Amino acid sequence: MDFREQEVVTPVMAKREEGPMDPIIRVEGLRKSFGSNVVLRDIDFQVMLGEVVTIIGASGSGKSTLLRCINLLETPDAGHVWFHGEDLASRHVDVNCLREKIGMVFQGFNLFNNMDVLQNCTLAPVTLGKMSREEAEAEAMRNLESVGLAGFAHAAVTSLSGGQKQRVAIARALCMKPDLMLFDEPTSALDPEIVGEVLSVMRDLAAQGMTMVVVTHEMEFAKNVSDKVVFMDQGVIAESGDPGKMFSSPELPRTREFLARYLDGPKAGE
Amino acid sequence: MGTDREGLTRPAETSPAEAGAPDAPRSHGRLASFVTSDHRYVFLGTSVLALAGIWLSMQPRSPWSFLRGAYAVEVVLYYVLVAWVALSLVALANKLARWRDYMRVSPFVRPGAKRAERYLSYAVVAIFAVLFVDRAVMGLCSAVSAAISSDSNPTDFLGGAIYMLYEGRDVFAKGIATTIGLATFGTVIAFFLAILLVFLRIQTVDRPDNDLVRFLKVVGTTFAKAYSAMVRGTPMMVQSLLIYFAGFAILRGTGMSTSQIGAIWSTFVAGLTTISLNSTAYMMEVLRGGIEAVDVGQAEAARSLGLSQWQAMTKVVFPQGIKNAIPALSNELVVNIKDSSVLSVIGVFDLMFATTTVAGIYYRQLEVYAIAAVCYLVLTMVASKLLSMFARHLEVQSPGPVLSTSDMTSTHGTAGGMADPSRVRLSPRHPAEKNDMGGR
Repeated sequence: MDFREQEVVTPVMAKREEGPMDPIIRVEGLRKSFGSNVVLRDIDFQVMLGEVVTIIGASGSGKSTLLRCINLLETPDAGHVWFHGEDLASRHVDVNCLREKIGMVFQGFNLFNNMDVLQNCTLAPVTLGKMSREEAEAEAMRNLESVGLAGFAHAAVTSLSGGQKQRVAIARALCMKPDLMLFDEPTSALDPEIVGEVLSVMRDLAAQGMTMVVVTHEMEFAKNVSDKVVFMDQGVIAESGDPGKMFSSPELPRTREFLARYLDGPKAGE
Repeated sequence: MGTDREGLTRPAETSPAEAGAPDAPRSHGRLASFVTSDHRYVFLGTSVLALAGIWLSMQPRSPWSFLRGAYAVEVVLYYVLVAWVALSLVALANKLARWRDYMRVSPFVRPGAKRAERYLSYAVVAIFAVLFVDRAVMGLCSAVSAAISSDSNPTDFLGGAIYMLYEGRDVFAKGIATTIGLATFGTVIAFFLAILLVFLRIQTVDRPDNDLVRFLKVVGTTFAKAYSAMVRGTPMMVQSLLIYFAGFAILRGTGMSTSQIGAIWSTFVAGLTTISLNSTAYMMEVLRGGIEAVDVGQAEAARSLGLSQWQAMTKVVFPQGIKNAIPALSNELVVNIKDSSVLSVIGVFDLMFATTTVAGIYYRQLEVYAIAAVCYLVLTMVASKLLSMFARHLEVQSPGPVLSTSDMTSTHGTAGGMADPSRVRLSPRHPAEKNDMGGR
């Protein structure tokens, strides 16, 4: 018990001394395995304030797990996740409190089926005492407006299309006024025609300066919107850097192979 | 039923063009259009009724028969039925002989003939109804009146059953009231206990929990599991005896006399305790199934917004889980109506105990237990009907689609190929609801 607290406290202090130029989130030596299947091996990764980072890579390379480790939906086996100067991976940190500041958008939308659109948006702010019901509803309406769904405030969740659901999910996450938004393959469950409406909402969000980490297979989005692209392969970050450089002249043959399949393959197919 | 079926085959969203005109005739219902315009089964259906009418007409008349004094009328009715059967046979022969071009050449399908056949078929149905009321309904009524006014127990099955039901009506009424009370109160108490217990059962250790909370959660889960295993692994009859005598022994230990104990620990209270505790275990498992059927993503989404495990459970997962569990939960009331019969072993004056009492008085077991079976059947059918009405009431209250028709077409166009599990699960109910709205 004691030694663990030691372990936690010291790096936090060290962190705070570094000053305001901190990355908003910093992942250090993150490891995660499911049974004997090692998914993440020693990931080091950081996101600066206002940055849009896309994580690309083949299925099973650990992209989603990394994202889910950042807000502790998966518990890391080892390593640290620094957010606002606190280590999320420590047992003594109030994860719920820090999660409020990290919005998450899921592949399967995960809208609350027992509520209508507005209730989906107001549930968390009202339950957690962040806002009164009126404030929360006003905030929700603003966010629904920004994703173009203000007219659907009282619609049942099940009556929406996939693209509308995902836009509501984004609005719902925004209602908590997060410092960071995580997107876990937000367009993978949508058919190609309506991917665009979700991506344009995300593009607007990036333009407003929101810090975003996006796991995606949409290479156009990665190329044009993000500030940094991270390519993951077999549980490690194989390569990362500026999107222009990544897409034009990747260093690793593995990256080149992956990008070639995405940039040529699907387009020829469509 | 008919409209529901049709609703299922229709797409969830109606396009504006489709939504208008064709809905109008459907509002009459399938049965009505079958009766007024469908001609396919006129001969087949009504000749079966005519044969049944002929058979009824050959049965002996009861004292209350209103056709008793109108012998001539009945002869006419009888021969109309015979003629209809003969006509049907001719039509059948004609159809078999001219299978290919029946629709063109047969005299039976000419417009005028068709209309005549339809009106005649109505007459046949009416005659059957008259004969049915005369023989079956009035026969039953007169049997009841004869049995009730009889001084001794009639020897035939029906008469005996009616006689004993009438003579033992107070006993049966008391038994039925007790059975209803046991089942209803037992189910309601069990429902609330099951909600408490299921929260113990489904707890999982969460990251911020300290060691004491972790320990308590494990204890709670283990208790719920052990309780469920014990209750579901022993017969309710044994449980009722155990509980009754255990309660008795405990109260005896406090120094009360037998009559004092009987006043507070009556067989009814013991039976109600048994049925509540027993049903709790089953309802807990039903609730757990319903909760576990809720997509993990629902809880994850709630947690990702900063809600605690408890908040995510009570605000998001549990309301959906209990909705999943409603059909199985309401079945528990029906099960309890039936299973309360084993409580007669500790002397609870329920329907089963009442039946045994009456059987002992008259020494006519077969008839009396048949009465009990009918009573239980009626009780369970009424209960399940009421519960399904209640469940439908709950369905209507949940947030329904409030989009305008044009919105729906726009969503339909884009959402068609989408693989969203929640939508797939809801779709069979969805169009039926919409159809109901259209009907109104």
